[in-house]
Amino acid sequence: MRAIAARTTNSLASMGHVLEFCGRVMAGVLTLRVRLFIGEALRQAALLITGSMLIVIGLVFVLGLECGIEGAYGAKAVGAVSAAGVITSLCDLREVIPYAFGYMMAAKVGTGIVAELGSMRISDEIDALEVMGLDSVLYLGATRLLGTWLVLPFIYAIAVFAGFVASYLSVVVQLSQVSSGGYLRLFWQFQSPTDFLYSGIKGMLMATVIVLVGCYYGYYTAGGPVGVGRATARSMVVNITAIHAIGLVTTQLFWGADPRAPIGG
Amino acid sequence: MQTRGGRFSVPGRGFAIQIGGIASLTRRTIVAAVRPPYTYGPELVSQILLALRLCWVPMIVAALAFTYGPVGVQVGGFLNFFGALDRLGGIFALLVLREFAPLVAAIVMAGVAGTAMCADLGARKIREELDALSVLGIDPIKSLVVPRFLALMIVTTLFDVYALIFGTFGGALVSIRNAAPLGPFFATYFNNATIAEFSASLLKTALFGGLIAVVCCYKGLNASGGAEGVGRAVNQAIVIAFMGIGIIDYVFTQTLLATHPELTIPR
Repeated sequence: MRAIAARTTNSLASMGHVLEFCGRVMAGVLTLRVRLFIGEALRQAALLITGSMLIVIGLVFVLGLECGIEGAYGAKAVGAVSAAGVITSLCDLREVIPYAFGYMMAAKVGTGIVAELGSMRISDEIDALEVMGLDSVLYLGATRLLGTWLVLPFIYAIAVFAGFVASYLSVVVQLSQVSSGGYLRLFWQFQSPTDFLYSGIKGMLMATVIVLVGCYYGYYTAGGPVGVGRATARSMVVNITAIHAIGLVTTQLFWGADPRAPIGG
Repeated sequence: MQTRGGRFSVPGRGFAIQIGGIASLTRRTIVAAVRPPYTYGPELVSQILLALRLCWVPMIVAALAFTYGPVGVQVGGFLNFFGALDRLGGIFALLVLREFAPLVAAIVMAGVAGTAMCADLGARKIREELDALSVLGIDPIKSLVVPRFLALMIVTTLFDVYALIFGTFGGALVSIRNAAPLGPFFATYFNNATIAEFSASLLKTALFGGLIAVVCCYKGLNASGGAEGVGRAVNQAIVIAFMGIGIIDYVFTQTLLATHPELTIPR
C-alpha cells in the first residue's frame, strides 16, 4: 500500500517537473523573449527543412499509397467501386496523414533533439552556457520550439499534398478502378477547408508535444553516452503514447459529433 | 567528389553500405537461428518478457486510438447517414484485421521495444562488452541478435492479436455511442473475417517484427563512440524501421489483395 502511495507521489512529482519545464519553454516563445536568439531559431528552422522534411513527407507518401489501396479494395468489398474517393478523402486528410506525420516527426525530429541535447548535457556544454550567463532553456528549448512553429505549417501542407498524390497514384494510376474525374469529384466533395484546418491543428499539436518531450528528455539526460541512448529510447515511448492520445481526443472533438460529409440535411 | 581512404565516395554510398549491412545481418541471423546448438533459450524468454513489459500500456492506448478514430468515428459517422451502422462490423473486420492492427503493433514495437533494444546493444558496444564476448569465443549474433530477432517476431505477432481485441473494443464503443445494438456489429464482423485474412495479418506482423529487430540490432551493434553515438544510433534505427514498415506494408498488402481476389468479394 505504502509502495503504491510512494509511486503515485513520485509520478505526480515527475509529471509536475515535466509540466514546469514545458511551461518555461512555452513561456520563452510566447513572451517573445526568444527574440534574443532569433538567429538560432531560424537556424533550427532551416535544419528542419534540410534535414527532416523529405523523410517526413516520405512516410506520409507511403501511408497515402496504403490508404489508396485500402480505399479501392474496401470500396470494392462493399460493391461500390467508384466510391474509393470517399474513403481515401476521409482516411488521408483526417487520420492517416496526421498520424504518419506525427510518427516520423517523433522518430526523426524528437529523438534527434534528445540525442543532440543529451550529448550537450553530458559533455557539460549546457553548464557552460549557464556559466556564460545565457538562459539555457531559452537558448536550447524555446529556439527549437519557435523554429518548429515557423516552418511546420508549410511542411504539413506539403505532406498533405504528398499524401493526396500518393492516394491518387494508387487508386487511379496503379489499380485503375475509377476514372480520374470520377475519383477526384468525390475526393474533393468529401473535404472542406475546415477539415484541412482541423487536420492541421491535429498535426501541430502532435509536433509541439514531440518537440517539448524531446527537449525535456535531452535537457535532463544523465549517465554518460549510455544515458543518452536510454533517454532517446524513453522519449519515444512518451511520444508514441502522446501521439495516439492526441489523435483520439481531436478526432472525437472535431468529427465525433458532426461527420462533416456532404450527405443528408 | 572527395577521396576518403583512397576511395572515391559517391552520393548514396553510405546508404548502400547500410542496406547491405542490414541485409547481411539478416542472413547471418537466420542462419544462426536455424543452425544448432540452440543455446539462446533463456535470453529469448527474457527478451520476450522485456518487450511485453515495455509495450503493453502504449499498445492499449495506440490500438484504441488508431481504431476508434479512423475506422470508428470516420466510417461510423459516414455509415450513420444511411442508417447502416450495422455494416460497421464488416468494415471493421476488413480494415482493422488487414491494416490497422498490424500497423499499430509494428509502430509501437519499433518505437518502444526496438529503441530500447538499440540503446541496450549500443551501450554494450561502446562499453566494449561485445568485444569481450568475441574474445571469450561467444558469437554475438547467436547470443544477442538471434534471441531479439525471434522475440520481436513472436511478440509483434502476439500484439497483433492484442491490437485486434482492443480495436474491436473500440468499434463496439462507437456502436454504443451511436446507440446502435451490438448484435449486428458482431454478426457482420464475423461474416467478414476470414482465416486467410487473419493468417496474412499474422504473417505481416511477423515480417514487421523481424525487420524492426534486425534494423535496431544493426544500428546498436554499429554504434560509434563519443557522447552522441548511442543516441544517434537510436535516432537512425527508428527512422529506418518506420520507413521499412511503411514499404513492407504497401508491398505486402498489394501482393496479398492482388493474388487473393476472394478476399475482396462483398460478403
